[in-house]
Amino acid sequence: MIRLLVPAALLLGVAALAADNAPPADEKTQALVEGKLPDDPALPLVQSKCLLCHTGDYLTQQRLTEGQWQRTVDKMRRFGTPASEEEGKTIAAYLARNWTTDLPPPRPVRTPPPKGSVPGR
Amino acid sequence: MSLDRRQFLKSSLAGAAAAAWWMKVPSLAYAKGGGEELTRMTERPINYESVRSTFTTRITPIERFYLRNHFDIPTVDLAKWRLHVRGLVEKPLLLSLADLEKMPQVKVEAVLQCAGNGRALFTPRVPGVQWRYGAMGNAEWTGVRLKDVLALARPKQEAAFIKYQGAERPTMDTTPAFVRAIPLAKAIHPDTLVALKMNGKPLALNRGRPARLVVPGWVGDDWVRALVDVEVRADEPKDFFYDSAYRFPVTPGAPGAPIPADQMKPMTKVNVKSLIGSLSDGDVLRPGDHELRGVAFSGEAGIDRVEVSFDGGKSWTQAQLEGPSTPYGFRVFRHPWKAEAGTYAIASRATDSAGATQPEVPVWNPAGYLYNAIDPVRVEVQS
Repeated sequence: MIRLLVPAALLLGVAALAADNAPPADEKTQALVEGKLPDDPALPLVQSKCLLCHTGDYLTQQRLTEGQWQRTVDKMRRFGTPASEEEGKTIAAYLARNWTTDLPPPRPVRTPPPKGSVPGR
Repeated sequence: MSLDRRQFLKSSLAGAAAAAWWMKVPSLAYAKGGGEELTRMTERPINYESVRSTFTTRITPIERFYLRNHFDIPTVDLAKWRLHVRGLVEKPLLLSLADLEKMPQVKVEAVLQCAGNGRALFTPRVPGVQWRYGAMGNAEWTGVRLKDVLALARPKQEAAFIKYQGAERPTMDTTPAFVRAIPLAKAIHPDTLVALKMNGKPLALNRGRPARLVVPGWVGDDWVRALVDVEVRADEPKDFFYDSAYRFPVTPGAPGAPIPADQMKPMTKVNVKSLIGSLSDGDVLRPGDHELRGVAFSGEAGIDRVEVSFDGGKSWTQAQLEGPSTPYGFRVFRHPWKAEAGTYAIASRATDSAGATQPEVPVWNPAGYLYNAIDPVRVEVQS
């Protein structure tokens, strides 16, 4: 994962942050697989533009190429998320450097049905 | 031709990792208990898939039935709820729940399957909820024939489609509403229902209370919940969720290659599929007698045959089918297995009454719809 994460971080100009504070690669991978949204200069943008309509697990279960991420963000902008073109690019870059096609599959959570799924409950 | 080339290679690499990540609790415990459990895909909107062990019975219990939403669940006041029937009709209608309850009620057993069930299994990967196998279920639906409702409204001569919508609304006004359409011929089929009950009980809030469309054999996106508006029309609508989304290639293209919009058409029937429910990837079994159990179904055709393979698809043995064939429901299959120590990739392959068989490789498409390839489960038998 180091191979993938570091060049992406460099691109975004957060190399210093990554080098100093990045957890070991396997920990980072595990966090991504478990659906954590890693701290990053782009995170507040993702929280304020993407999580208006859906939770972060919609993002963290995807395993996509850069092009697929950009097209997804473009579609969400057409759907009305209030992000400028520039913000859309920053969001897509954040998603593309974290949830890559070679990341292990997501780790879904088993749970009782949510409220309202069974008559009378 | 054996499966091992593409399918098993892909499965053993991705699958081995997947099995390790997903094996939080031994899956056999769930198979025995049959508890009220789902796998959460997304918390908001509510998207949960059924756990694999659900697929060993003909009828899927409500508490283990998957949930799929584009938007938040609408709040519906039952006293104020009305079904509006309008458009190319002689007599527009505004029907209450009591009006529908007074009409003749019929029962239809049918599989509801999300078009994206199996999306996570496509290579290359595609965006969307990463359903693996559990976005399907079979229920007994009770309600009014849509045909009877439309007869009250008397469609005009030029009527050819119905466009319809539920009470759900997107969070943002700029997001397209979830609008679907089906040809009038399917709408007036005697098995197409405005359902009020699921497995004998009034629909729960997340199941489409008080009324949902049941379009037997057709993909789940047509089964709109909390139905509020039916417009009878002469042509197909241009709304996003009908004209752009939920389309499938007319002819298969190369995996990953873009497909021009004019080469895509609306999905209708679901395709033939089977799933082993009694085993999950990564299970460790004792040698001896086991019973393999699962379900098979196919759009508007019943299941004729299910075969099972223990050797990567080189040889197939016919499994036993339970009960009578139903046109739209699950058919349970089972097969006794005297397991000896070793590693197995066990697969099932269904054939429907029209002669369609599950393929070794799915038809790749950009949104990951209608996955129905043979999908092996890897288990180990240890003495």
